[in-house]
Order: sequence, then C-alpha cells, then structure tokens
Amino acid sequence: MTGTILVIGVLALIGVGLYGMMILHNVLKLVVALQILTKAAALALVAAGYMNGQLQLGQSLALTVIVADTMVAVVGLALAVQVRRHFGTLDTRALSTLKR
Amino acid sequence: MAGLLVLLTILAPWGGAAWVMLARSDQLRQFAAVLSSVIAACAALLLLAFTLTTPSVEFALGGVFGTFTFVPDGLGAFLAAVATTIGCLTVIFSLDYMRGEHQLGRYYALVLLFIGAMCGLVLSGSLLLLFIFWEMTALCSYALISFHNDDPKAVAGGIKALVITQIGGVGLLVGILAAYAQLGTLDISVLIANAGSLPADALTITAFGFLIAAAAKSAQVPFHTWLPGAMEAPTPVSALIHAATMVNAGVYLLARFYPAFAAVPGWTTAVLIIGLLSALFGALMALSTHDLKRALAYSTISQLGFMVYAIGAGGIFASQFHLLNHAVFKALLFLGAGAVIHTMGTRDMRRMGGLSRAMPFVRNVFVIGGLALAGVPFFNGFWSKELILEAGLETAVWSFVIMLFTAGLTALYTLRMIWLVFFGEAHAAFPAHDAPNAMRIALGVLAAGVLGIWLLSGAFGHLLETTLPYHEGVLHVESTADMIFALITAPATWLTLAVIGLGFALWVLRARLTALTNALTPIMRAAAADFGFEWLNRRIVTTAQSAAVLLRRTQTGQLNWNVVGIVTGLVMVLVVLMVGR
Amino acid sequence: MEFLPFLLGSVICGFFAVRAARLLHAALWLAGISVLIALMMYQLGAWEIAIIELSVGAGLVTVLFVFAIAVIGDEPISGRSLTPKLLAAALVAAAVLLLSFFLFPVEANSAVSVQSSFAATLWQDRVLDALLQVMLIFAGVLGVMGLLDEPKVRAAEESGLHAETPAPFDQPAPDSHLEEERV
Repeated sequence: MTGTILVIGVLALIGVGLYGMMILHNVLKLVVALQILTKAAALALVAAGYMNGQLQLGQSLALTVIVADTMVAVVGLALAVQVRRHFGTLDTRALSTLKR
Repeated sequence: MAGLLVLLTILAPWGGAAWVMLARSDQLRQFAAVLSSVIAACAALLLLAFTLTTPSVEFALGGVFGTFTFVPDGLGAFLAAVATTIGCLTVIFSLDYMRGEHQLGRYYALVLLFIGAMCGLVLSGSLLLLFIFWEMTALCSYALISFHNDDPKAVAGGIKALVITQIGGVGLLVGILAAYAQLGTLDISVLIANAGSLPADALTITAFGFLIAAAAKSAQVPFHTWLPGAMEAPTPVSALIHAATMVNAGVYLLARFYPAFAAVPGWTTAVLIIGLLSALFGALMALSTHDLKRALAYSTISQLGFMVYAIGAGGIFASQFHLLNHAVFKALLFLGAGAVIHTMGTRDMRRMGGLSRAMPFVRNVFVIGGLALAGVPFFNGFWSKELILEAGLETAVWSFVIMLFTAGLTALYTLRMIWLVFFGEAHAAFPAHDAPNAMRIALGVLAAGVLGIWLLSGAFGHLLETTLPYHEGVLHVESTADMIFALITAPATWLTLAVIGLGFALWVLRARLTALTNALTPIMRAAAADFGFEWLNRRIVTTAQSAAVLLRRTQTGQLNWNVVGIVTGLVMVLVVLMVGR
Repeated sequence: MEFLPFLLGSVICGFFAVRAARLLHAALWLAGISVLIALMMYQLGAWEIAIIELSVGAGLVTVLFVFAIAVIGDEPISGRSLTPKLLAAALVAAAVLLLSFFLFPVEANSAVSVQSSFAATLWQDRVLDALLQVMLIFAGVLGVMGLLDEPKVRAAEESGLHAETPAPFDQPAPDSHLEEERV
C-alpha cells in the first residue's frame, strides 16, 4: 500500500513538472518546473530503494541526482540573469534568435 | 617499483602540461616540456626492466565499475617506452621547429597531455579506462591538427580526423558493452581468458567492434582518409601522433585481443584483407602525390597495413616488431621532412630538389630512414618486413604475392621521394641551411635507432613471451641470431630483395619505360583521387547536411515546443515498449 | 498511508508553483515541495539524504532563487502560452498513464537485505559517482563564473587586446607561399 501511494505521488509530481515545462514561458519558472521534475526523480530513487531493501543504494543515487539538479538550477539561474541582461525580458519567446 | 614507474610515465607528462600552461615565459615552457618528457621517457624505459603480468596500480571504484588497474606487461611497457621516447625527441625537435610561434603553451601542453594519455592507453588493464584514454588521444590529435586554428584547412582536417576516429570510438564502446553485458567485469585479462565461454554473437560483436575501432584509429581502409588531412598539423606532431604512436593504438588493440578473437569466424580473414588493401592502396597513393608530408602519410597507411596484415596472418610478434621499427624510422623521416619544410617553407616536392649539398646532415638521416622504409637489408625495416612476409606466406600464398608487389612499390615511392627532395635539379632559389642543433639531436638519436634497434629483436621477443600469458603459441619468437640465420637462408627473403631491387630499378630507368608509365597513368589518376574514398566521404557529409537543412523546419526555436517534442518522444518509447511486452 | 498528506501537500505545492503569477511565490512553493519531500525521505528511513535535501533543496536553492529574483526583478509575464494547454495536458496524461501501466501493481520486495550505512555504500560501491559529483560541482561553478562574467569587463579586455596587437611594421614581411601553406 505504501509503495502504491508513493508511486502515485511520484507520477503526479512528474506530471506537474512536465506540464509546467510545456506551458510556461518564463525562464525562471521553467527552472522551477525542472526542479519539480528532478525532486520527483530523487524521491522515486529513495522510494525504490526502500521497497527493494536497498535503501542505501537508493540514497547514494539520489545524492547524485540532488547534486546534479542543484548545479542545473544554479546554471539555469545564472542563465536567467544573463537572458534578462541581454534581452531585457525573461520571456522565452524572445529567445528564438537561432531560428532567425 | 613498477607501480611508481607506471604512475610516473602517465603523470609526469600531465604534470608537465599543467606547468607549461601556468608558466609565464616561453623559455620556462620549453624547459618544463623537455624536463617532464625526459622524466617520462626514463621512467618508461626503466619500466621495461620491471614488467609484470599482474596489475601494479589499482584504484578501487566500487562494485559497479570494478577496479581501474594498470598492468605494465611487455606489450604495454614497450609501447609506453616508444611513446615517451619518441615524444621526448619530438619535444626536443620542436624547440627549433616551433621557435617563435604564438601560443607555445597550448602546443606543448597538448603534446604532453597526449604522451601521458598514450601511456595510459597501452598500460591500462580495464576496458573502461582503455576507452577513456583512447578518446583522450583522439581529442589531443584533433586539437593539435587544428593547432593553427586561423587556417581553415587545418580546422577542417582536425574535424575530419575527429569525426572518423569517433566512428572507431563508437565501435570500441559497443564492443566493450557487449563484452561487459556478458562478463559483468571490465577487466581486460578476464575478457581474454574467458572469450571462449562467451556466446558466439556477443563475441562477434565485440571482435568486429574492436576491428572497426582499430581500423579507424590506425587509418586503415576504408577509414584512412583522415590521415592525409591530418598533415596540416605542425610536423613534429605528425611525427609523434600520426606516424609513431597514436596510429599504432589500433594495431596494439588487435594484437592485445588477438587470442580472444582469433577463433571468431571470419575475423582473421577480415583483418588480413583490411591490412592488405591498406598496404596496397597506401603505396599507390604515396606514389601519386606531390606533397612530401602526404606522401609520408600514405606510406604510414601502407606500413600500418603491413602490421595489420601480419596480425591477420597470425604473426603477432612480426607486427609488433614492425611497429617498433616503423615508429623509429617513420618518426625519423617525418622529422627529417620537418627540417626540410622548415627551411624551404613549402611541402611541394616539385619545388624542392638538389637539397643534397645544402643539407648534408638531413640528407644522410633521411636516406637512412628511407632505406629502412624500403626494406633494404641491415636497416631495421628489413627484418620486420621479412618476418611479416614469412608469416603471410605461411597463411595465404595469394596474399603474399600482393604484399610482395606492395614491397616493390614501397621501394619505388621511397626512392622517388628521396630523389625529388634531395637530388635531381634544384627548383628553388632558397638559401637552404642545414638543421639546427636541437633538431640534430633528435634526428641523430632516431637514425642510430634505425641502424641498431633490430639487434634487440630477441630481447624484445623474450620480453613479450614472458609477460603475455594469453599469447602463448601465437608469438613465434626467436633469438636475434636465429632470426638472422632463418631470414638469410629463406628463399622468400631473396625473392623480396629482388622485388625491392626491381622497384628501385623502375625509378632509375623511368625515362626509358614510357610505355609502362603510360599504361599506369589511369591507376595513378585513381590513386591521386584516393580511389573514390574521398568522394564517398564528401557524399556522406553533403547528405548529412542536406538532411539537416530539411529537418530544420521542425525547429520552431521555442523552448515549449521542444519540451512537447521530448514528451512526445517519451510517450512513443513507452508505447513501443508496451506493444513489445 | 502515513505518506498521503505529504504527497498530497507536495502535489498541491507543485500546482501552485506552476500557477503562481509572481516569481517569488513560485520559488517559495518550490521550497515547500522540497520540505515535504525531505520529510517523506526521513520517514522512509533515508535520514542522510533527507537532511541534504532539506538543506540544499529547500535552503540553498531557495536562497539562490530569491537572490536571482532580487537581481533581475520580479517580472510578471502575461500572454497565452505557445503550446495549447489541452495538448500539454493530454501528453502528460498519456505519459503518466503509460508509465503506470508499467509500474502497477507495485510489488514491495521488502525482504530487507543487509543494510550497510549510507557512507559505506557511497564510498565503497559508488566511488565513481562521488568523483562525478565533485566534477559536476566544479563544472557548475565554472559555468556560473562564465555566465556571470560582466559584459563590461569582457569589453574592456577586448579593447586591451586590441591595444596589444603589434603594429603592422612589427611583423615580418609576408611571404606569399609561406602564408598559403602552413607547415
């Protein structure tokens, strides 16, 4: 029962994150949506470790996820600062210069 | 002791690279580069006395990735010694050759990084570590080919080399993964020991994946087209990476894993044919080009073809012995060519000629290297080439005939090259001058090597025999005296010598043989066009580019639509998985 | 059952984080998710990672968000999203349904094996991961340094470089074919 609830929760969080990534067009809020996705992944790893009796392995994998996603957040925020500085806006619709 | 030396051979050049990058003046940079490469060379030569069959350095990385080990066995230690010694001579040669260039720090740092990576490649006892070093050498090669990064030809040559060697890298990775999936370990010795117990299809994937990797790295047909383009690199780099060391990594790979793959159906035949075609095509192309460095590059393809052919024919010792000899005489030829190019300012052989009087020292060493390349007796190339042909004769007579023809061609293009550069009539009004001192040191040491290193063949064979437990029965090692006696009494040797003489005679008598030259014109034209491989390369590139232009329409440039694409991909993968269940 | 409130809470927080009009609110809702997930990890017995999640995810990242928002200002972006919301919702539903097809029924294999400690697992079995994390942090720091490089500074450096390039008469006379054929 515990496992079922945890899996449903992880799936719901993944859904929220993906939905946010698809409809948001503010660079900073995209970083927020990405964070929701990766937090779901970390939780999923710990939950999987718990359910299979390999909690420590799950923990060490989740640690990698947390480190990576923190770095992604840091770089994403720095990128947002630069985007704001160069384009005067955080709107991703202004960022399609590669296409032009 | 061995562990310390192993670490020193790898870390001394890398430490030197860091020092070079941090150094403030060019003099300090040169000093750092020479010092660290000399330390590495001494360590690697000492390592030859401390060879082991078991790991000497281990880094435990936990249950998943196994242990990263370095095994200084005979094969690895010998190649590390070749890489560091020729690396050290190249660095010394560069003192004169690169004097006054901009960004010397980048140059020396990359060369030193390469030397360390090459030692790591041949000494590593773990497949994953082997792959990491393999890619590192490819990266250094790319960065050094494009060293003059304001020259579009150099940049294009570098990218071409990188792309083609990456095809090999993918082959290697697939092979490693196929083996790892079955064995559950990345240890090289475990793979060689248990190859027979692997499922046939997994072993076949591994064997041919490694063969693709070796062919791409060693510039064998059909992946050879990057090597001529790599000649845009500074000449010392060509000597080190594209003649003496990195291109040998493929041959090393085949020799190392021969006991594991020899039983795979068709594998030895494929190796034999690839080597044969490369040797033949390389020799023909070397005959057709006017660019001195490209001629040497084609000759490298051809000589590497000899080594690969030897492995296909089962002559592991012959191939490794030729590898050693080729590394020495080809480094000598490249560095000699570098001295010529440095003073002439051109690579076109038609604009050289008559340099014999102006550069007597360079002429002497170049002729020594050339005679070794042609396979003239008592130079080092002669012995190993005869051993290779003997091995070929025992395996397949038809291939022996073609290789014999190639040996004749080798003599022909070597004489042509020497003649065009040093003899004949002078075409340039340049006041050519002989090589400066640092160049002379490097050239002199290599020339001495060409004259004398073959005397060590018995000791070299003994070294391989005692430290390669899995190669028992495939090495066919003899003592130096036995080898000399066997080769001198073998009829095949005299036949080869006659063919080589014929090759020389063809060049001397070329004016009287117009009928023959005319008949050969179409072949020469095909050789100049790279037998269509260059065309094939261009076709692949243009096809990829036009496909990219077509696909460009799918790019909206909007982040949200990109994420929609990603999620759609996820859904499709899940659907496929569901259907397959 | 004891996880239900936390999970519900985190999904609700996620919903508000995505819907929030102001950036600061989105960042705070994100911190809320982090706290709830850390609590869940704690309940599962993963204490070490719970502490790390709490300090890094809820603490450090939130501070960074607030800092970044303070630097660039809270800018409400209006306007419809580019992608149709219905399409997005349909894709998410499809993905989640397909995933649940593979995941359910959940079989807990709670025959607890030998539980070594977290530190032992990390340092004995996953050393390469630890090395990778160090490299990631290093790369992240480098990336941020590159990104936050002030444009003014770079412009000044470039003009400095221009000043240093030698005047034409310092260069040797160009030799035509030396130029065309790099040796």
